[in-house]
Amino acid sequence: MRAVRVIAPAGRRSGWNGDAVLASAMVLPAVVALAMFQFLPLVTAVLNSLQSFGPFDRSSTGWVGLDNYRELFADPAFRYALLNTFLYIVLMLGFTIPLALLLAVLLDRRLPGSTFARNAIIGALAASEAVTALIWNQMYEPSSGLFNAILDAVSLPTQPFLTSGGQALVSIVVMSVWKDVGLPMLIFLAGLQSIPRELPEAAELDGADARQIFWYVTLPALRPSLVVALFMMTITATRMFTPILIMTQGGPQGATTNLALFSYLQGFEFQSPGTASASVVCMLVVLALVTAAQSFLLRGREAD
Amino acid sequence: MTGKTSERSESGVSRRAVLSGIAKAAALGVFAPAVIDSARAAAGKIDLGGYAGPTLTSEPVTLRFMRQDFTPDVNALLEKAYAEFKASFPNITVVEEKVPYGDLQKKMLVYVASNDAPDIMMGRTDFADAYHAGKMALPLQDYLSKAFVEDIPANLRSAASSGGSLYCSPWETSVMLLYFNRDMWAKAGLKTPPEVDTLEGGWTDEEFIAQLEDLNGKLKAAGDTKSWALAAAGQGNGGPGANYSQLESIWIRSQGDPTAPKSSSTYKTLAGISDDGRSVTGYIDTPEAIKGMRYYQSLFSKGLTPLGPVPNQFPGGLAATYFGGLNFTNRFRVPGMEPPFKWGVSPPPKGKIVFNGNGSDAPLVWAKSKHPAEAAALLAFLCNDTNRLAFHKAWGSMPSRTSLRKAMSEFATEQPFKLASALSDASYSVPRTPGYFDYFNAMNPAVKDIALGADPAKVLPDTAAKIDRLLVKYK
Repeated sequence: MRAVRVIAPAGRRSGWNGDAVLASAMVLPAVVALAMFQFLPLVTAVLNSLQSFGPFDRSSTGWVGLDNYRELFADPAFRYALLNTFLYIVLMLGFTIPLALLLAVLLDRRLPGSTFARNAIIGALAASEAVTALIWNQMYEPSSGLFNAILDAVSLPTQPFLTSGGQALVSIVVMSVWKDVGLPMLIFLAGLQSIPRELPEAAELDGADARQIFWYVTLPALRPSLVVALFMMTITATRMFTPILIMTQGGPQGATTNLALFSYLQGFEFQSPGTASASVVCMLVVLALVTAAQSFLLRGREAD
Repeated sequence: MTGKTSERSESGVSRRAVLSGIAKAAALGVFAPAVIDSARAAAGKIDLGGYAGPTLTSEPVTLRFMRQDFTPDVNALLEKAYAEFKASFPNITVVEEKVPYGDLQKKMLVYVASNDAPDIMMGRTDFADAYHAGKMALPLQDYLSKAFVEDIPANLRSAASSGGSLYCSPWETSVMLLYFNRDMWAKAGLKTPPEVDTLEGGWTDEEFIAQLEDLNGKLKAAGDTKSWALAAAGQGNGGPGANYSQLESIWIRSQGDPTAPKSSSTYKTLAGISDDGRSVTGYIDTPEAIKGMRYYQSLFSKGLTPLGPVPNQFPGGLAATYFGGLNFTNRFRVPGMEPPFKWGVSPPPKGKIVFNGNGSDAPLVWAKSKHPAEAAALLAFLCNDTNRLAFHKAWGSMPSRTSLRKAMSEFATEQPFKLASALSDASYSVPRTPGYFDYFNAMNPAVKDIALGADPAKVLPDTAAKIDRLLVKYK
């Protein structure tokens, strides 16, 4: 014990003791991986957004300052994609979070069929995004799809789910909610199962009914889970890509194009890596702003 | 016994065997070129088609070829051809990469940008100007005989060329024919589309749409709710906006006229782009183009064709008409593969002209290939008469050389083939610009939007402005 006490301060003086070296060594792989796969691409995207590129070999043809950004904001398709990105976020959060909470509460009660329901929801979450989009594409099909067959059976008019500007975005969101609701549900389920059983029991003894227990005991206790679920779903909604590409290719008339798809189109369909990078940077700014706003709002409530 | 044991290693391999192996390997190294030459001689001279480049190396070479996946029988033909080539040139190995058809050009651009592209890539004549401007492809006339190059019909040769050089070798010829289901028209008690073998005598746009409406009404009245007057497009990803170059451009560019004054909107509608290849405003949004797209839109708004992709609708007997290539004619003639109905062929509907786009698959040799002569020789070998005729017989497409068409008697005797020849002879290339990739990618969704109900008078000018912006970077 004495030897340890002597060595440790000496190590601190030099700035490096055995623990620090070991800790650094353990952290290093993660730091290197983050630097290579997170920060380097980010820095590259920012740098690329300030350059122009040859359309064939995609080599830089020089620095253009903020020209790519000016070009982007002058493009009505970009402004539309920016608006759609916010719409996806709002709709995804608006549908997914309440539904996930409801499902988590029901599953937590261990009603008959809970195991099957949980597995089915997790199964949807685990399914390939591309395969899911293809299946839903078929189900939305106007002449032979499942949904229109159901509408037809109850004598309701056929709906242009993916071909109408007014319905396509919502149709994609519905599919994504079905697929992605499992993740926030699991987060809420874990949160519910970590609430001490004494809390609702005490509230019940105090005369609170089920609704009051949920609003005043369960929900506040779930706030950390809610924060995590909101962040996760915001990120999911912002970078939604595969279902849009497969189901509508961004149409009709750009009604379902978000910033992720817009960036892809600029980079790979229209040979404009500079504009694509500028669009990606804008997408990151949107994501940062939304998550910062969420963080601020939810932190404020905690402080209260 | 002891001596023998001492000669063997622990693994049981004798020293004599090792020394003998080393000696054989050394001998093979020394005599390899001679061995290869004798193999070439033994295999006889293979027909390198129109190859007229330098003598091929006897050093070991691996050629990479990126192409689309064909049907198993066509893939087998190509593999057999590689084996033949390898038998004559044992030092040359061919490695293939098959890419989904729709991703070929995108993948090519990524490969070129990476500076590590396959030696041969399946391109399209549509992008000949891009291959030239981007220095992506080798000028093939340096490696091919004049006779071979001149055997390619002039309009197709022009489509595959840029700045006076041939940048890709047309693999086949694209034609778009109007197929019809004879039984379905008979059932409706209507006359079938005219079966002519020239560009004259087919239906006009108005007649085509009116006839389809009539047919549709009669089918519905007879309780047939499953059949469509016009099958969904089968090109590209299917459905509207599937392939502007080959299919939907018919509706716009047929409203143009090559004999009109160059400054007229009628001429510009056919051209599709300014002479310098930099501007489309005033070319794809003319009153004629808008009129053409209104015809196209009416096919959807009148319920004559599905709004989305429906695979195999026409071959399955669920549609009365279909726009398809000559491969359907060939496929339907194969015993055992006939469709469950009688069929016929008519020209596509006529606007001011009967329009046919000749954009075709066309392999190219990468400009930075380390083995340009060997790559060009392989390409020429794949394009020799034997290999091409076998390909066209299996795949069903139309040959891209005049001599091959002459060798196939059906082009002189049978109506679908004669009509295909006439369409090909009068065909037009895609609008000429190094930025055609952008043009094409902007037009496809615009066409789809129009099919889904957007006003052509708004969509076409918006798309023209968008394409103009996109083409700026090619200046």
